[in-house]
Amino acid sequence: MAENLETIISVIAETEKAFFYRLSNAATRDDLEEIRIEYLSRKGKVQSLFSLIGKVDGADRPKIGAELNRVKKAVQDAIDEKQKSFQRTGKAIEFFDPTLPGRTVSVGSLHPLMQVMDEVKQIFVGMGFRIEEGDEIETDYHNFEALNIPKHHPSRDMQDTFYLSDEYVLRTHTSPVQIHTMEDQKPPIRMIAPGRCFRKDTPDATHSPTFHQVEGLCVDRGVSFADLKGVVLAFAQKLFGKDVKVRFRPSFFPFTEPSAEYDFSCIFCKGQGCRVCKDTGWLEISGAGMVDPAVFGFVDYNADVYSGYAFGMGIERIAMLKYQVNDIRIFYENDLRFLKQF
Amino acid sequence: MKVTLNWLKEFVDFSLSATQVADALTMAGLEVEEVYTLERNFSRVVVGKIVKSQKHPDADHLSLCQVDVGGNILPIVCGAPNAYEGLKAPLALDGSVLLNDLKVETRKIRGFESQGMLCSEAELGLSERSEQLMELAADAEVGKELGQYLGEPDSVFDINVTPNRPDCLSVIGIAREIAAMTGSSLKKPELNIAAIPDAIEKYMTVDIQAEERCFRYSGRYLRDITIKPAPFWMALRLHAVGIRSINNVVDVTNYVMMEVGQPLHAFDYRLLEGKKVIVRTAEAGERFTTLDGQEHELDQDSLLICDGVKPVALAGVMGGLNSEVQPDTNTIFLESAYFEPTNIRRTAKRLDLSTESSRRFERGIDPNGTIYAMNRAASLIVDLAGGHVVGDAIDNYPQKVTPVEIDLSVHQSNVWLGVSLKKEQIAEILSSIELSVEQKNGDTLRAIVPTFRPDLTRPIDLVEEIARLYGYDNVEPNVAPRINQLQEANPRVLFRDSVRQTVSGMGFRETCNLSLIHKKFGHEFLPQKAGFVELLNPLSEDLSVFRPNMIISLLTSVAYNRNRQMHDMRLFEIGNVAWKEDGQSVKTEKTQIAGILAGHRQGNAWYGKAKEFDFYDIKGVVEGLLAKIGIEKFEQESAHDVFWDAESSKVIVDGKSCGAFGKITDDVLTLFKIKTNDLFAFYFDFDKLFENRRKEKIYNPVPRFPSVPFDLALLIDVNVSAGSLEKEIWKSGGENLVDVHLFDYYKGEQVEAGKKSVAFSLTFSSKERTLSDDEIENVIDQILAHLSGQFGAQLRDR
Ligand SMILES: [Zn+2]
Repeated sequence: MAENLETIISVIAETEKAFFYRLSNAATRDDLEEIRIEYLSRKGKVQSLFSLIGKVDGADRPKIGAELNRVKKAVQDAIDEKQKSFQRTGKAIEFFDPTLPGRTVSVGSLHPLMQVMDEVKQIFVGMGFRIEEGDEIETDYHNFEALNIPKHHPSRDMQDTFYLSDEYVLRTHTSPVQIHTMEDQKPPIRMIAPGRCFRKDTPDATHSPTFHQVEGLCVDRGVSFADLKGVVLAFAQKLFGKDVKVRFRPSFFPFTEPSAEYDFSCIFCKGQGCRVCKDTGWLEISGAGMVDPAVFGFVDYNADVYSGYAFGMGIERIAMLKYQVNDIRIFYENDLRFLKQF
Repeated sequence: MKVTLNWLKEFVDFSLSATQVADALTMAGLEVEEVYTLERNFSRVVVGKIVKSQKHPDADHLSLCQVDVGGNILPIVCGAPNAYEGLKAPLALDGSVLLNDLKVETRKIRGFESQGMLCSEAELGLSERSEQLMELAADAEVGKELGQYLGEPDSVFDINVTPNRPDCLSVIGIAREIAAMTGSSLKKPELNIAAIPDAIEKYMTVDIQAEERCFRYSGRYLRDITIKPAPFWMALRLHAVGIRSINNVVDVTNYVMMEVGQPLHAFDYRLLEGKKVIVRTAEAGERFTTLDGQEHELDQDSLLICDGVKPVALAGVMGGLNSEVQPDTNTIFLESAYFEPTNIRRTAKRLDLSTESSRRFERGIDPNGTIYAMNRAASLIVDLAGGHVVGDAIDNYPQKVTPVEIDLSVHQSNVWLGVSLKKEQIAEILSSIELSVEQKNGDTLRAIVPTFRPDLTRPIDLVEEIARLYGYDNVEPNVAPRINQLQEANPRVLFRDSVRQTVSGMGFRETCNLSLIHKKFGHEFLPQKAGFVELLNPLSEDLSVFRPNMIISLLTSVAYNRNRQMHDMRLFEIGNVAWKEDGQSVKTEKTQIAGILAGHRQGNAWYGKAKEFDFYDIKGVVEGLLAKIGIEKFEQESAHDVFWDAESSKVIVDGKSCGAFGKITDDVLTLFKIKTNDLFAFYFDFDKLFENRRKEKIYNPVPRFPSVPFDLALLIDVNVSAGSLEKEIWKSGGENLVDVHLFDYYKGEQVEAGKKSVAFSLTFSSKERTLSDDEIENVIDQILAHLSGQFGAQLRDR
């Protein structure tokens, strides 16, 4: 007599359910192999279910056959799938959480002022300037006198100086490096002097007793004021983009003649006038000029043969514009929350 | 230097607005820092006429006035001394608002009603004169709004005059620039002095005893004058340019100084003894009281103006208290001189007494302008104070200054500027600022420079004038590069930047600290026997010496951040440090790099508990940095200074100390108010690293034959350092030993007391062949024998 169809269907379902329970507990590759043999080998639990086909009515056999094939495939697929989850160690992966934070790697950074300095250096090195360095403690001679700033001259009032003695000062600009370079080398000279300078300015939003400058010098036959304008223009456009215009205004420095203050067109309003440029459309940057022949006298260059230009810039000023920092003192506080932003 | 628009217009005709003038001056090198209109801080103030004035019955200082305001007569109570009948003065009506929001209302004053207030200039914000009612002209229209009566308010330019332009410390100097810019010409009025004929020697003679300091001394004698307040127009202008009104005579001297740039001084003639002026240098220690009441001790460098008996003025700087013009005088002696600039500057600097007068003398006034200025002042005094000029001008001029002549090559000028101006253009430009130009043959121009331009002495000085007036904007920039000037890179700079990249790559943040510190932070860091590089004139104690070590800067940054609840950090900085060696006044300046580890290497995390930094963290950084720059090995030696003796080490390369690292001592941390003791730092003499760096990189072939690892665990005395063991392994390891790596270090129960276990992983490799087991065994035996001999080391397991 034929077994009840429903009974057979339920036997198949229970076998399948038992399989999945076993599978979920398989922790190693060996466990899995055991389960595979138990269910899929020739005498395994799935294979033995096929013998039940003969026990049902002919009309129901295709139905049972189809169900058994589905279960066999499901078991096979589940074992294959589980197999992939084992690593080379043979251990199964538990729940893996890729959203846990990664192990911290300490990240360093360069100081924003030094980053600006590096950028300025790169621009001038690209234009063929050599970088020269010098001491921060200088002689009065190199900081002033050789730059045509005699003792007891009103132009000394232009820079408030820290004195160490009658002979030594903290350099008020990097210009003494130019003097040292000219003392050591003959023209042509094409150099920049980046570095730290000091002025006796009480700290406020725009003054710091320590600050950084990059100054440039070029000496050769036939160097002209037009060359100076060219190099400053090229620098401005490398730093702030092709649209920047440069304006030169007459000024006075004892070591240059003609002397100029130079401005960049405002990078914020494109020269239209805004709060930063005080509605002038221009940002004051720094000073420049043709090297005064008197300076050549101090370094034994023949002023009838050679001419030269010199220019300077304040790194803090540029960094304040570039990063929109409105208080120079922030650069020297070294607050980690500030440093992390660069 | 301040100057007003209306004042300028007296000397040059132009139609530019104040803003246009400001822009033009700035582009000509006279930077206008500010331009503003004089404010009128009042409303409902009219021209009033006092028609009746009588004393208050109970208060002597008050007057009861009847004031005509055009149709109405108002009762006004007034406390001013000059509230006399017939005076026209500003009257603030009921409801008006004056300077500082002072509200004027009808009220009773000492029992009498006052329907307004008669005003002084100060109450209206027009000048600082507050003692008297403002006196209006006799023809002022009664009842007219005061604002209307005064006309358009003047504009003030605040100009930053550079030290090379003493001529522009005057209204005329700036007017001359405007004339040159606008193509008009300067109007300088001729002066006619109607002096009473008399022999001036009867009243005054001048004896210059210091001719090298006083090139010229001119003077005039005036009598029958009356000292009183200066007229409103003069007080207003002086106020606008920042000078206090004193009285008519003193105001004239200041007014003319502002106008033409020549400092003048008026002496009360009655107080000059002996009818003579002597110009001499002071005696050392001589004392003199200037008219500000300050007594000064002078030296032999200072120049004095004396009468027949005593000093009466500190030449070029300030007059004396003993000869100041008194309110009751009717005779004055007017001085107009040229003093040598450097001398005046030295004196003003030494006495810290910078005045409008000294500022002009030290920059250099026009030695040929003394007479003009003096006559201008004399005629103004006669206008404002009455009286007469008596006799001729005194003019003692021993050191005559003549105009400089400069020959300029047109070609050279064009080369310097990079332009191609014609000879005629250049001549025209130079003429516009009152240089007389002769066109010489060929390429050359000769310019004769007036003596009010002491800054023009050389051809290049003329080139600047040409560039300035031609317009810097009109010079086309030349961007063609100069290939002949390309330079090789500076290796020290490249090295410095690569070291910064390396250290920041190790997780350090670069800081930027001030170089100046308080002494108290520096003592511990000074090299032995060294002293501080100290400022003579510091801003404050906190910034008074140069830092002697970069670790100071890093500790400052750590302290700053710790105060703001930030605990863990890695910081580094490269910078200059300095000190004075023992007994040496010359400084030693060095570049240092320093790094610091503070707090935790890692905070609490899901993968592990927080771990504080320790000595081996800073050592790892040092080793990494040195390896990166090509210093593979260094010797260690205990370092003292700022580190704990035990947890410290010098870094010795080729027998020379390059720097040190270790744990910062509690004493130092306390100084910086850092409360934890988990700070480790290193510092290096940057140039020692630079000298010892690997200069060239040359390929070293990698071994073709397999390398053989061998682990060696040794039992040794606790006191034997790992470093000395490693050194001896290298010594005895033969040529095929290529790596020694310490991988285990143990003290404790597993080994006998007084001993420790140290395990090394050795690697052997040959360039020529595969090494045999026997060969390795032999070398190991050799090493063991050596270590046993040196340290009594035993093999723990093989
Ligand atoms: Zn702008």
